[in-house]
Amino acid sequence: MSSIVPTMRHVRGFDVARPLSIGVLVFMMLPLVFLPLASIFIFGTSKGLTSFWAALMAPEAIFALKLSMVTSFWATAFNVLFGLFAAYVLSRYNFLGRNALIVTISLPTAIPTAVAGFALLLLWGPYGILGRFLAPQGIQTMFTAGAIILANIFVTFPLAFGVIKPVFDTMSRSLEEASATIGATRLQTFWHVTLPSLRGAIVSGALLTFARAVGEFGSTILVSGNLAGRTQTAPLYIFAKFNEGQIEAANAIAIVLALFSFLIFSVLFFARDWLDVD
Amino acid sequence: MKRGTTKTPAGFCLTSLFLLALLLSSCLPTPPAESGGVNLTVYGFSIMKESLEKGVYPGFAAKWKAEHGQDVHFTSSFAGSETITNQILQGVNADIAILSIERDATRLKDAGFVVSDWHASPQQGIVNKTPFVILVAKGNPKGIKDFPDLAKPGVRVIHPDPISSGGAQWSILAIYGSELVKSEKDTTEPDPARALQTLQAIWRNVKSTPGSAREARTQFELGYGDALVTYELEGLLMKQAGANVEIVVPRATIFSEHPTVLIDRNVTAARRPLVEAFLRYLWSDDAQRTFVQYHFRSSTNEALNDANPQLAKIELPFRIDYFGGWQRAYPEIIERVFRDQVQKRK
Repeated sequence: MSSIVPTMRHVRGFDVARPLSIGVLVFMMLPLVFLPLASIFIFGTSKGLTSFWAALMAPEAIFALKLSMVTSFWATAFNVLFGLFAAYVLSRYNFLGRNALIVTISLPTAIPTAVAGFALLLLWGPYGILGRFLAPQGIQTMFTAGAIILANIFVTFPLAFGVIKPVFDTMSRSLEEASATIGATRLQTFWHVTLPSLRGAIVSGALLTFARAVGEFGSTILVSGNLAGRTQTAPLYIFAKFNEGQIEAANAIAIVLALFSFLIFSVLFFARDWLDVD
Repeated sequence: MKRGTTKTPAGFCLTSLFLLALLLSSCLPTPPAESGGVNLTVYGFSIMKESLEKGVYPGFAAKWKAEHGQDVHFTSSFAGSETITNQILQGVNADIAILSIERDATRLKDAGFVVSDWHASPQQGIVNKTPFVILVAKGNPKGIKDFPDLAKPGVRVIHPDPISSGGAQWSILAIYGSELVKSEKDTTEPDPARALQTLQAIWRNVKSTPGSAREARTQFELGYGDALVTYELEGLLMKQAGANVEIVVPRATIFSEHPTVLIDRNVTAARRPLVEAFLRYLWSDDAQRTFVQYHFRSSTNEALNDANPQLAKIELPFRIDYFGGWQRAYPEIIERVFRDQVQKRK
């Protein structure tokens, strides 16, 4: 390479740019990412591990973590299935309005999450466009776990789709065609041929969606009612504890969420060979 | 493609681990509050948390259990007074709201959520009160003795946002009214120009407007500012927790009075006796003593306040009546003075 790029400076065969650029990279990340994360850990454990553990084991904290996991799970399950379906339809068929649909699916990425929560309230709230007809029937969606799932679905809508669709687009059709020629039905072809090659995309789409949903705050605080031990998710718990001045309690849960996302992205990174994602 | 179909043991472990985690999390957790018994949902403005959760709830639960043999569980949410009012207006299932300012109770009434008249409750619906004071760092390094000192150059003031916080509105009334009361005392004539000037000068020093009195306190604790105007109770709770703060008691200041309303629209006939019993309990000597223990002042009996020696003596106290009640104070002071002449000039 170096003979092709004469501008690159070498000192006795030693590439100066390499350690220099790595150093600059780490140095830049230090105040932006590393130190803020480190301060959570330092502060959270400054009063000893026992007080950290006590903060973590508070019934409301455990409830908040569980609620986050469960609501994120259902939102993930829905969005992966939907993303799969949408990617299939939108990459197999060409029709009027196809591009408009693709754009619409991607829209929630750019909408402020508070707007997402607000929009759900205006639709499903007891005085919302639909909610006002459901409320007399005793059906209430907002301020329940269901509302949190709806909000999670909205804000993570494009994630799984975004990972799955490119794989569909670039997938070689020849295997599917071969499967069809030996008499497989559409469903069999999908199940035995198409789906296995999407495995990596599905898993990474699910992990991304799940990670994003667990951390969701802006829309949840509007639609959940923020009742401790009832509709308070982990991020809301952190916010509430911070506002109450109980910074250790907030930190304990923050540490759990930080470790959790670290785990998810480690899986995404280190298992990507197996997952077949590039 | 081929690689994708071969399963490595590590990969297998990983998938099963992940699936197991998902399965574990796939059923909704039961709220600790719902294991038998009846439930009461209370929305309170930010500083109500300690006295309710540590004193009033257990007290009422024990009383109800003794009288009816039934467990009462409480769920509650605490935020700025305006914020919880807006949440209730959006339809959250609150049975009772304890608000910082009467204006919010009026908003709930105007929207049809509160039908019964809270003025019919004891003390016109006021459940407790507390004066407004100034919090500074220990040793009072900026030498703050009264509200006008907050306007000195270089003093960083934290003041909650009057859009979302009732405490912020009390604080504005405390500062503005304090100047009026003092000028009236010294020259027999209240001086609105001096009051406006002081308020404007202080707001030039406001560096941060958090959403509630409690958020403001957290920011102050983190060392963000030199002074915080807030409820006396917040200062006493901070001192109790060992924070390095000092309370500066202004010569004249307002007593904030906190109305409590029953959200009629959310309370079914079957649950009404329970909710009303809790409402009545708030004015019982039992509950009032608890409030005093957590540094509020009793609204029913001044003598109960003697139980807490930390409550400060105030030379020239005044109440919302000084401005002619909230129905005049809000348009005349918060809107016409603060919003139009202080905030717009910033």
